[in-house]
Amino acid sequence: MSTTLLLPAFADPVLDSARSFRAALKALAGPGVIQPLVQVAPLDGLAPASYALCLALLDIDTALWLAPAFDTPAIRANLAFHCGCPIVSSREQARFALLDDSELSDLRGFDLGNDRYPDQSCTLLIQLAQLQGGRPLTWRGPGIQSENQVALPLADSFWRERDARNDFPRGLDAFFLAGHSVIGLPRSTRVSPSVTEEQA
Amino acid sequence: MNAAPVAEHAARQQWIGVLAQAGSAELKRHEAALRDTEYQLIRAPEIGMTLVRGRMGGTGAPFNIGEMSVTRCVVRLADGRTGYSYLAGRDKAHAELAALADAHLQGTQQARWMSELIEPMARAQASRRAAKDAETAATKVEFFTLVRGED
Repeated sequence: MSTTLLLPAFADPVLDSARSFRAALKALAGPGVIQPLVQVAPLDGLAPASYALCLALLDIDTALWLAPAFDTPAIRANLAFHCGCPIVSSREQARFALLDDSELSDLRGFDLGNDRYPDQSCTLLIQLAQLQGGRPLTWRGPGIQSENQVALPLADSFWRERDARNDFPRGLDAFFLAGHSVIGLPRSTRVSPSVTEEQA
Repeated sequence: MNAAPVAEHAARQQWIGVLAQAGSAELKRHEAALRDTEYQLIRAPEIGMTLVRGRMGGTGAPFNIGEMSVTRCVVRLADGRTGYSYLAGRDKAHAELAALADAHLQGTQQARWMSELIEPMARAQASRRAAKDAETAATKVEFFTLVRGED
């Protein structure tokens, strides 16, 4: 019975989703800066930040692709109830994708948008255990005054995959989520190994 | 095999219809009994708009009549039963009570809730509708053409 799995979502649906959307905008406008997200009860396997962003971004017009780790009855039932979003099994049809860190070495199949409508690309919502503690990298580009040092705990394969699919203006935008926080990584951000490391 | 779920479905449609059309005061009378359980709001009562569409003569192409305000609510009782309500208007308390009633009606006490809550309200609604229909019928005018000018 899927109905027994339903849980309450935002305490104040209107303002909380507006605040989450604002946090998502700020995250993409200032890549690499940690933004706090609205408090929401975590859902079985889904961090509060990931759930808050799903509630704010997904609706009946946005097809969602779920990584196998998140494809549970509880997550399906609650997203279908609170967002009404269709959940698709093929990556090509997805407007949003919810990924965990085991999926990041293969980003094949996601829609990169096209030259006329680059905004139609698939947006990746990537849940991590934490947003720090990895190899520090230097982020440059729009929204960053000179450079940002960001140490996301990601394997090199993710950065290779991202570069391979970054054919500006086409490309993939990503949100990294852990706990109650989000970091945005738009396709326009250039990522390189940090200067100190290159010298070492 | 399909008969039981279909009948269940129809019964639920019927009581959800009665609850949606009940007067707010009628449901308030049962408020203490309805709230006498542990429950949580999965979707707190919220007001929105819905587009009402119609078909000319009931069969033509659909057209938009206009928008109306709708209030909806979903509750879950401690044992996992969920109750839904959708009703016209902006009465949040009514929506919550109707959702609670829907949840109660899906449980083991269904017969008691039907006889205490739904059936009296359904009777009252039927008599109100009959009175209104009679009043309207008395004003009915039959139009017919005796002679048309052109022939």
